[in-house]
Parts: sequence; structure tokens; C-alpha cells
Amino acid sequence: MTVAKPLPHDAAARHVDGSARYVDDIPVPAGTLHLCFGCARISRGRVTAVDLGPVRAAEGVIAVLTADDLPFDNDVAPVAHDEPLLSDGTVHYAGQPLFLVVAESHLQARRAARRAEISYEEETPILTVEQALAADSRFEEGPRVYGRGDVEAALATAPLVTEGEIEIGGQEHFYLEGQAALALPQEGGDMIVHASSQHPTEIQHKVADALGLPMHAVRVEVRRMGGGFGGKESQGNALAVACAVAARATGRPCKMRYDRDDDFTITGKRHPFVIRYRAGHDAEGRLLAVDFRQFAVCGWSQDLSLAVADRAMLHADNAYWIPTVRIESHRLKTNHQSHTAFRGFGGPQGMVGIERVLDHVAHRVGRDPAEVRRLNYYAEAEEGALSAPLGGSAASPPEDISAKKKDLQERRVTPYGQVVEDFILGGMTERLLETSGYHVRRARVAEWNARNEVIKRGLAFTPVKFGISFTLTHLNQAGALVHVYQDGSVALNHGGTEMGQGLFQKVAQVAAQVFGLPMAAVRITATDTAKVPNTSATAASSGSDLNGMAVRLACEEIAGRMAAFLAERHQAKPTEVRFRESRVEVGAESYSFAEAAKACWMGRVSLSATGYYRTPDISWDRIRGEGRPFFYFAYGAVVSEVAVDTLTGEYRILRADILHDAGSSLNPAIDRGQVEGGYVQGAGWLTTEELVWDDAGRLRTHAPSTYKIPAASDAPEVFEVNFWQAENRAETIHRSKAVGEPPLMLGISVLMALSDAVAACGPGYPALDAPATPERVLAAIRRVRGAA
Amino acid sequence: MYAFDFVRPKSLNEAVEALQPEEAMALGGGQTLIPTLKQRLASPSKLVSLKGVEEIRGICRDDQGRVCIGGGTTHAEVAAGVPEYPALAALAANIGDPAVRNRGTIGGSLANNDPSACYPAAALASGATIVTNTREIAADDYFEGMFMTALEEGEIITEVRFPVPQAANYQKFEQPASRFALVGVFVAKFEDGVRVAVTGASEEGVFRWTEAEEALSSNFSPDAVQGLSVPAEGMIGDLHGSPEYRAHLVGVMTRRAVAAAG
Ligand SMILES: Cc1cc2nc3c(=O)[nH]c(=O)nc-3n(C[C@H](O)[C@H](O)[C@H](O)COP(=O)(O)OP(=O)(O)OC[C@H]3O[C@@H](n4cnc5c(N)ncnc54)[C@H](O)[C@@H]3O)c2cc1C
Repeated sequence: MTVAKPLPHDAAARHVDGSARYVDDIPVPAGTLHLCFGCARISRGRVTAVDLGPVRAAEGVIAVLTADDLPFDNDVAPVAHDEPLLSDGTVHYAGQPLFLVVAESHLQARRAARRAEISYEEETPILTVEQALAADSRFEEGPRVYGRGDVEAALATAPLVTEGEIEIGGQEHFYLEGQAALALPQEGGDMIVHASSQHPTEIQHKVADALGLPMHAVRVEVRRMGGGFGGKESQGNALAVACAVAARATGRPCKMRYDRDDDFTITGKRHPFVIRYRAGHDAEGRLLAVDFRQFAVCGWSQDLSLAVADRAMLHADNAYWIPTVRIESHRLKTNHQSHTAFRGFGGPQGMVGIERVLDHVAHRVGRDPAEVRRLNYYAEAEEGALSAPLGGSAASPPEDISAKKKDLQERRVTPYGQVVEDFILGGMTERLLETSGYHVRRARVAEWNARNEVIKRGLAFTPVKFGISFTLTHLNQAGALVHVYQDGSVALNHGGTEMGQGLFQKVAQVAAQVFGLPMAAVRITATDTAKVPNTSATAASSGSDLNGMAVRLACEEIAGRMAAFLAERHQAKPTEVRFRESRVEVGAESYSFAEAAKACWMGRVSLSATGYYRTPDISWDRIRGEGRPFFYFAYGAVVSEVAVDTLTGEYRILRADILHDAGSSLNPAIDRGQVEGGYVQGAGWLTTEELVWDDAGRLRTHAPSTYKIPAASDAPEVFEVNFWQAENRAETIHRSKAVGEPPLMLGISVLMALSDAVAACGPGYPALDAPATPERVLAAIRRVRGAA
Repeated sequence: MYAFDFVRPKSLNEAVEALQPEEAMALGGGQTLIPTLKQRLASPSKLVSLKGVEEIRGICRDDQGRVCIGGGTTHAEVAAGVPEYPALAALAANIGDPAVRNRGTIGGSLANNDPSACYPAAALASGATIVTNTREIAADDYFEGMFMTALEEGEIITEVRFPVPQAANYQKFEQPASRFALVGVFVAKFEDGVRVAVTGASEEGVFRWTEAEEALSSNFSPDAVQGLSVPAEGMIGDLHGSPEYRAHLVGVMTRRAVAAAG
């Protein structure tokens, strides 16, 4: 079994010794040119005069391009065609590319770009939720609303109503490898592009449009990225298109990489949100109705914001059944970078909203927040009910049982109508609270807090239920191309991209499994639009689910042909042919895999196949907010403990206990890495990672000297990560579950643990905003004390 | 960076000579100056590296028991070389990262007088003497506000003399990204009284918190400064913290330093 083995990342050794090749490491042909954008310094207005003379005169400059010089489409938007590569004269944010410098070296291009003399007519930028609402500056005609029932009526009759608001900051992706692209012009106007991109097909598409070429004339290759996190889903388009356009204009290879400050300044981030809530509940903390208003700060262009904001709505329930619920979502257009995909894709913001509600409600009713959370869970899936379709034809049960069943069935329905058939958080929570010693520690924390004035501790349990599939249904498809060579070696290719998450290794394990081969026999090749066309972005945690399936189907196709050929030769049935331990067994006969491959080749059997997979059983109407957007849900549960210094607001994560659901993990070592990294990245988002724009709309935190991501030393000292060992009820690749995004939301427990610690300081509710910097924590401490 | 000449004199005299032209600048470890040049915020015609000037490097004690640190001594050398002044060693050991500590020098830090730097607090709280190629300057007369000092053009810090207190401690509240001091407080207790110097906080740069000094001189305990606070007015407000927060931290860090000094 190569599947389910904790094998290291296929490039782990290369990552360490430096031989893993990224775009900027590719040896370039002589004569390669280097690009740099000249960017706007104001956040809103018009360019009134441009003098690019000094730029053109600068040393090493070959060309300077403006919007007027672009031969075809001036657009790099992923969806809405609203994002010019180079400004048409209107400035939408500070950092917007205005012109493109093409020079002999990277530094020359950078130096020259600074020499432009540009005058503007400034307008007042829209930078806050209030300003955007006042100006009705938004995407789509008005807010989207999903939900069920009459929320106002339910709130009016609820015994208690708890209301509040939380501000949730954005997040810089901070991939270690910045954005980069390299374009190599070919004969006849064709273009080859190497990009650091999660979405080679989109790069191909945008480059083709920019060059006025059909897609077949553009080939995009991505070997790997040094991190993506969603930041390379659409944000790489600008560099790739710029390189291609410049390569076309000069006939020379063109390369571009953003300097870190430019990367911060030009590219979009996780959407900052403000979420307002009114929750009706009883004295035990049982939710009766919740009214959410989500305000997403989208930045200047639409990018992927609609889908991001949709997903925030689809996770406004997290793990909880809310009988009556209304979620209103505003997608605000502002003069910031165009915010984009980021691990979780809006889900984390939606989830923070409901977790905040439960925290607040638990505080209000004076009960243990973990208990209040459990009280509100969706109904647990039935034992052994492997994704049985709804309304199955079982013999009708007696009246009362059927009434109970009906009640349970009702407690499975999400606000958007999908039935949660695989809910396992009841069991996971039970187990985690026990293994983490939650109840004993809760008592110990209380005792500690009673004895200690200065250092307060906080403990929090939070669950994660994350929907797996692209909500844009047509994206849930993938292709693969597999070759078996006559020496028995296997090369495989698929549409997924490798960004450090270990996708290639997992998929290679799937292929090796089909052929009964060791990993060394399987070669993973760079993602290439000429090999597998029309791919989706490697996103929505779907990489292994989709590409693993497509690769398996391709491998099974080839193995099937080999089996048929060998079976015929030995008068056996194809089903009796076995591929294991590098051998192919047919009855009493046994070939090495290489011998078998060679025999098939000699017998004129095709040893190359494509595989294609589309996720079954999903459909979604995003306007009505109804359907089954998700194939299944991935779950996680965590208990975090923190200590807060009440004199300064400083804090530390002392311990985290995680129980995560990766189904039958394809590779527990890689999945563990995803869980640990996700938790730390989620915690960073909600604690130290603070983006600051000044009043003029300029991003002031644009380097590691001002923006703090967690380091290894910020991970909790006690970090227990375990997997809930159970198969996915849905038929996924080897019954595994997607694991890319879900663990990020485990980090929410840190914000809740901080809230718990602050709550120990006084009678008020902390109402902590995120990121909960020490200064904010201190302010919250003062608030809860002031409430005395 | 703009173009400049580079010289590496071997003696103090040569260095002083090389620094004569108005546009010449001394280069210590380059940890502040090189980034400044890269951003084109300075345009010296000539950089005079002090790395080759052995006579301003190293640590010794004078007959008054003071710790005398050469102006060209690195943070790492101070961290390892002043066992009799643990608070100063600890301060040096916690500046930046190993690369910064192996290059950056005490002379460079004091000449630069960054409002968030650590050494100015130590020098001021210790009542140190800043020795240059031409004179001796008491720390109280040396710091003249953010990035401003009593140094004249071309004057080189050759040595810094620290009286060793009976007890001392430096508490630094780090800005988490850069780890510079958001607020740093150095408390030093001498036979004739306590000195408290605050860095990172004020728009005027490092300053002595005299109110706390008086309270601590009569009662060296955290309780003595419990009720005291500095006004938020005049404190730095930036993306990392408000003036109110900084003012609050001055009190907390002072009490922490007193408690830690024992
Ligand atoms: C990543 C990073 C983190 C840092 N963190 C901290 C921190 O936490 N706390 C802290 O205090 N500092 C910190 N620093 C600053 C560091 O301590 C610098 O080394 C110091 O401020 C400057 O010393 P230098 O020797 O490098 O001087 P240089 O950069 O070479 O010079 C700085 C200035 O001093 C002048 N100069 C240099 N030597 C002399 C001399 N002997 N006499 C007269 N003038 C001189 C130069 O002409 C120049 O104007 C950090 C720096 C970096 C890069």
C-alpha cells in the first residue's frame, strides 16, 4: 500500500538543499529582459499628466509600455473583465500599475520605474465600510440574502437576544516565494509562460486574450510555487500577461518578479469583514434565531469577491443548526488592493462570526461555551449510514420513531437547504474534550484565575465544519494524463499545481497504488496546459479529491488494458490479473512490471491514457441560496489554551489539542503538516497579523518589519495533533478528505481562548476584534472591568 | 544607493582625517546606515569604515570601576563581554538578530539615536559618558531628540563609559514584527539614587522619567511607582501603537524592570 503511508513531501530534500526550482531559478536564455510596474501613489483619482521621459532615458531601459501600447485586451480580471493590466487613467488604489518598464536587468527596471513624473487629480477614497455604504459603492445590485424563516418574528419572541459586532482584519498571503512569471516567445507568435500560479489555465486564457491568440498558441507550465494560499489564484495574471505582452513587443524572453514591498502593495489579500449579529436564544444558550449582516471589504475590482462572500455566508452556520436564520451579505467596493482568495475563501470570516455569537451567548447565559456549542450542533450522522441519499426507501418506521426521525432530519438542514448527512462533530468533540482533559483544565484555569491577578488564562474549544467543493459547480472537474513507458516507469500529469501542500506526492501515491509500484517508479511532472487542458485552479481544498480521482481513472484505464492483454495471453480473466509489489501476476505466471509493460508495448497496447473526473451530486443556485453546493464536509475540533498578561495585553498560546478529520488520509504526514500549518496561520490571522492602511489609503504594513506572521516559535509549546480515523462517507479518492483549508479555521479557538481569558478580568463581555493585538486585548480588559 | 567612495582607515587619526570633508560619513556595522543609503535617504560622498580601527574596539574597566566599551564594539561582543553589568549584557543580547548583533556597534547605535533603539536607554539610565575623538559628553547632555545628538560633524564615538549600578534591569516591549522597542525602560539603582530612562515611547526620543526616579530613590520597589504614569501627550502614535498604549506601557515596563532588578 503506497496510499495512506506517511511519506515525506516528494521535494522535501530539494526544498532543504535549495535544488527545488522556482520560476526565478529557471536558467534564462541570453537576452532575457526584466520587468517592473510603475504604480500609482494615490488611492483614488485621475492621472492628469505623465512624463515617462526620464524612465525611458534611464540606463538599461528597452521599452516603457502604457495602456495605449497594449495590442489587444487590457484586462487581467479572473471573472468580471474589470481589471485593466495598466490603468486607463483612472486610479482605484495606491499601488495600481500605471505603466510597465522593460529593462536589461531587474534592478534597472526598478530604478527606472521610480523616475516617472506623474500628476494626479485626487478624489476622496472610499476606505471604510461606512464610507462604502454611504456611497452605495458595492458589487452586485444590493446585498445577497440567504436564510430560512421569519427572523424578526423569531427574535421578537426569543427569551433573550444577544447582539454585537466584530471587526475581522484581512491577511497578507506572505507566500515565501513572491509572484513571478517568465515568458518565452516562440516561432509564429506562440508563447510559453512559466508562472508561479495556482491557475495555469487562467494564465493561458488571459495571456491568449492579451496577445489576440487562441488558447492553443499559449502554453503555461508550473512546476511548483513557494506557497500560494489563494494569493496565486488570480493575482499572478498581471505578471504573466505583462511578460507575454513585453515578449511579443521585444521578441525577447521577459521575466518579472515582485519585490516583497511591491507584492504587498500591488496584490489583494484576505477580505477584511465587519459582521453584525443579533441572536435570539433561551436561557441555556440554545439558538432560536440569528440575524447576520456581513460586510466584506472587496477592494477596487471584483476579482473572486462574489464567491468569497458567498462562502462566508455558507459558513455562517459552521457546525450549528439555527432554526431561523437570515444572512445578509454586502460586497463593498473600496479603494484598496483587490482582495482575493485566501485559504478558506471567506469561510473563515463567516465562521468567526458564528463562533463569536456562541462565545457571546455562552457568556450571557453563564454556561461553559463548549457545552453551549454542543447544544447547538447539527444532528449527528447515523452509524454506518454511508451518505445514504435522502428519503431512502426503508420500510416506514412506527409513528413516534418517525416523528423523532423527522425532528433529527430537520436538525440536519443548513440555511441553504443542504442536508448535513455526515456530521461527526458530536463524536469528535466527545473524544477531544476527553483527550485534552478539557473539563479538568477548565476547573484548573478557573482556579488559576482566582489566584492570579496579573496573568489570566483562557481556554476555548471550537469546532470546524467546512464544505468541500467549488461553489461554482462547473469548476468541480479535473483531468489527468498518464504514460507508462516500455521500461515500466510511469510519468503522470494532472491539472493540479504543487504549492508545497504535497498534492503531487499524494497523487503519485494514488498512481503507484494502482500499478503496485514503489514511489520511485512514478515521476510527477510539472503542471502543463499542453498536457491537461481546461483545468480549475488548485483551490477550494479540492486538489487531491479531483486530481487524485482523475489520475486513478487514467491509471486504471492503462492497467485494465495491460490486464486484458496479459490475461488473453495466459487464458485468464482480466480480473484475475494482479498488480502488486512491482510485479504483474497472471495465474501462475509473474512478470516484473517492466516486463509486463514491454510485453504490452510489443503487443501494440496503448500505454497512455487520460483520466477525467467530475464531482457527482452537486448543484447550487447562488442567487436563491439553495441547493447542495458541497459534496461533503470536512471536520475538525480544537482546544486552545492561552495566557494573557493583563498589564500589557500580551499573550502566548500555551497548548493546542487538535482532532482533525482527513477521512482515510492519503498521507498522514503531509496532512499533519497541513493541520499544524493551518492552525498556526489561522491563529496568526486573528492575533498578530495586522494590516494598516493610512487615511490616504496607502498600505503601511508592506514588509516583515511591520507585518508579523507567526514563526516556528509562535506555535504552541504543547501541540497535540491527532486524526479522527474514519472513512469519508462520500466516495472520494480512497475515502480521504480534503485538508488544505479546513485546519486554518482551527485557529479561531485562539481568539476565543483570548476572549475567555479577558472575560476572567471582569463582568463585561470582551467583544474582542481581530486581529487581537496586545493593545486591543488590553482595551478589552479595560472594557470588561469597566462593566462592573 | 547613490555612488560614494569607500575608505577603511587603520587608525583613529586616519579616520578623523578621512571624515574631514563635509559629505563624508562614518560607517560602523552598517545595520542602519546601509538600509538608509539603499533608500536614498542619505547621500555621503565618502564612507569611512571604522571596522579597521582596532583602538576603538574592545571592553575594559577604568580605575573608577566603569565598564568602558570601544565605540566600534559589536552588540555580540558586549553581550558576551560585560559579566559585571548583566543588565547591559542582556540588552545587547536582545538587539535584533544574530546578524545585526555581529555587525552593529554601540557607537553606531548611540550616534544614530533611533527613538526605538535600546542603547540610548542604557546610556542615559547608567549616566554613561560618551567619549569622542575630541571630548567627553555626559549622557544627560548627549541625547537631543529623535535621531539628534550632541555630536558634531565628523566626530567619532571612541568609547562609552558605564558606571556599574548596584542593581539594574532593562525591559523591552517588542514591536512583534521588527522587535525594536515599542517601549523600553532601563532602570539603574546607584548608591546616590535611581535613574530611569525610557526609549521607544516619546516623540522627543529617549528621556528620563524623573518622577519615577524620585519615587524609586526613596523606595526601590514596584509599589513605589504603582500610581505613577506618564502623560500620553508627546508619546509616539503610529501603526504599531497609540500614544495612550505607549504611555501605559512605560508604567508597566518600569515596574517590571524594578521587580526584575530586585
Ligand atoms: C533587523 C534589525 C533589527 C534591529 N533591532 C534593534 C533593536 O532591537 N534594538 C536596537 O537598539 N537596535 C536595533 N537595530 C539597529 C542596530 O542596533 C544597529 O546596529 C545600530 O542602530 C547602528 O549601529 P551600526 O554600527 O550598524 O551603525 P551604522 O549603521 O554603520 O551607522 C549608523 C549611524 O551612526 C554613525 N556612526 C557609526 N559608528 C559611529 C561612531 N563610532 N561614531 C560616530 N558615528 C558613528 C554613522 O555615520 C551613521 O550615521 C536593528 C537593526 C536591524 C537591521
